[in-house]
Amino acid sequence: MRMLPFQYAVRNLGRSPTRLVLAISGSWFVVLLILVAGGFVRGMMQALGATGSEDNVILLGAGSEDSVERSEILASVPGILAASVPGIRTRAGVPYVSPEVHVMLPVMTAGPGRETPGVAGAPPRQALVRGVTHGATLVHDSVVLVEGRWPRTGEDEVLVGRMAPTVLGIASEELAVGKSLVFGETAWTIVGTFAAPGTAVEAELWVPITDLTTVTKRETISCVVLTLDPYDQDTGEGAELADVDAFAKTRPDLELAVIPERAYYGKLSEFFGPVRFVVWVTAGLIATGGLFGGLTTMYAAFASRIRELGTLQSLGYRRMALLFSMIQESTLATATGGLLACIVAIMFCDGLAVRFSMGAFGLVIDQRVVSLGLLSGLLLGVVGAVPPAIRCLRPAIAVALKAV
Amino acid sequence: MSHADTRAMPGFRAEPEAIERTGTPPSSGPLIQCRRLSKSYVKGDNLITPLRDLDLDVSAGDFLALMGPSGSGKTTLLNLIAGIDRASGGQLIINGIDLSTLSRGQLADWRTTHVGYVFQLYNLVPVLTAYENVELPLLLHRMSARERHERVRTALELVGIADRHDHYPRQLSGGQEQRVAIARAIVADPMIIVGDEPTGDLDEESARAVMDLMTRLCADLGKTLILVTHDARCAAYAKRTLHLEKGRLIELSGVRREEGASANHASAGGAT
Repeated sequence: MRMLPFQYAVRNLGRSPTRLVLAISGSWFVVLLILVAGGFVRGMMQALGATGSEDNVILLGAGSEDSVERSEILASVPGILAASVPGIRTRAGVPYVSPEVHVMLPVMTAGPGRETPGVAGAPPRQALVRGVTHGATLVHDSVVLVEGRWPRTGEDEVLVGRMAPTVLGIASEELAVGKSLVFGETAWTIVGTFAAPGTAVEAELWVPITDLTTVTKRETISCVVLTLDPYDQDTGEGAELADVDAFAKTRPDLELAVIPERAYYGKLSEFFGPVRFVVWVTAGLIATGGLFGGLTTMYAAFASRIRELGTLQSLGYRRMALLFSMIQESTLATATGGLLACIVAIMFCDGLAVRFSMGAFGLVIDQRVVSLGLLSGLLLGVVGAVPPAIRCLRPAIAVALKAV
Repeated sequence: MSHADTRAMPGFRAEPEAIERTGTPPSSGPLIQCRRLSKSYVKGDNLITPLRDLDLDVSAGDFLALMGPSGSGKTTLLNLIAGIDRASGGQLIINGIDLSTLSRGQLADWRTTHVGYVFQLYNLVPVLTAYENVELPLLLHRMSARERHERVRTALELVGIADRHDHYPRQLSGGQEQRVAIARAIVADPMIIVGDEPTGDLDEESARAVMDLMTRLCADLGKTLILVTHDARCAAYAKRTLHLEKGRLIELSGVRREEGASANHASAGGAT
């Protein structure tokens, strides 16, 4: 089958600049929406998936495996673990054991009139505050101090994650080193900023564990995170999850549950499955609306040249060749819109912080999401062209030649 | 406006060579044979029959004008001969091929090689230049770009519009547009050229120029030319004129009628 020249499809685009703009902007909007939805889902998955290390194990209170914030274990557990579980990684004799308190607290910035704890200024926002020791820097190897210093115990000092401004809904300047935050009826001085690229940890506020247990008036901790050295069969060194599990079973009095850190955040990711589903459904519904708009635009474009389609058929061009040319034309417009949407998404949406109950994460517009966007643009062109094209090609040639 | 000598032009050969080029053995009988040809269709609750039981023979190289009032079936007959419509009954055999036996795709291919169509409103593709419009039918043929270029250039020269090859239809007058349409109709060297009131949208002078051109081409290239027209002046150019009314052939003028032929059976060109 012989096709119509490609320039026919290209030049047809220029017949009506208004229609062309409508087609490009419509597909731009739909593809951008799909990119944002894709970036959202990917960002969320990546944040939860990347949070936690392969060699880390979390010990939580038995029965609280689904939420570390509800978990309570004895403050003595870290010491017992370090002494009893073989194969815990050490550096210069310091074991990779991090006792932690995880608590969601209303947090607000301190300012004039808000220096005094309990005096409210702007409405506070919930943020995850993690009470840590220096051991946290060992087990959470993705965490890097990018500015300032580590907080000192007893000084009411806090280290803020790079995504914390998004969680708190404030400008990053308000969380600069030297500024203050108010939570747990205490004003905390920001002494540093940390990064943990691509993880949910980046949205947290870290304070010394003893300071946090004091302000939250708790005697227990939330969990212990340890890093195991991979088990080596030849030397017998290192440990496996089963070893830690065995320890937990031998000490039922401690009421511990053992979960690989990755698995814990993986479970959280499953918890957010319905959110992702709703995001896709919403994007799909809006895209469908856009598609119907596109169908109308393309129908108007094709219907205005039914006689021309009849003429081309009278010359010997087959309907499939004309259909293909119309799909080319439509796809060119939607692909242009899709490409522009990808550029905008990469330039302005990639890394855009989004707040969610776990903290915050950045939209991820990576190769996969861009591919999805481009594919959507092409698909819009095909799906948007075929029904109107078929309708305009349906009349017999003799009838089409009489079309006005 | 001067025109090139059509007989000296490459790529354009007078019939029957062009017929041989199509791969179909030339038949000894008429080029076009209509036997009890009918066309009917349903419109709403009514069965419309624009053409009924028409018998007609047309020889190769003939120039036939179809005349008659609106709704008499002229355009329907033209469309059937051009292979863009299908008969409801009877036979239409062109150069030995019964068009009713061809599938839709085969009919499209058949049109490509056998028919050139000239429309009243020219029907040029507005986004393509005159050159590209004329080139369109050739893109359906296997030929090199060089040969295609040569043929397009020749066709444009034949109709005297080569100097406007890069103009878009909107940049041409009605007469010039129709010349481009004629070039498009002849460029693939079809054996039959059909025209549906090709001068209907032109002023008198342009109409005369177009008719002069078509007549000359028909004569020089040996094409069979069939025109639908309301204009007696245009019909006067034809060797034969058929008068249709209510789907029936009522008169054949300018050619000898065969003795004993029925009122609805005409032989043009004396082929039968």
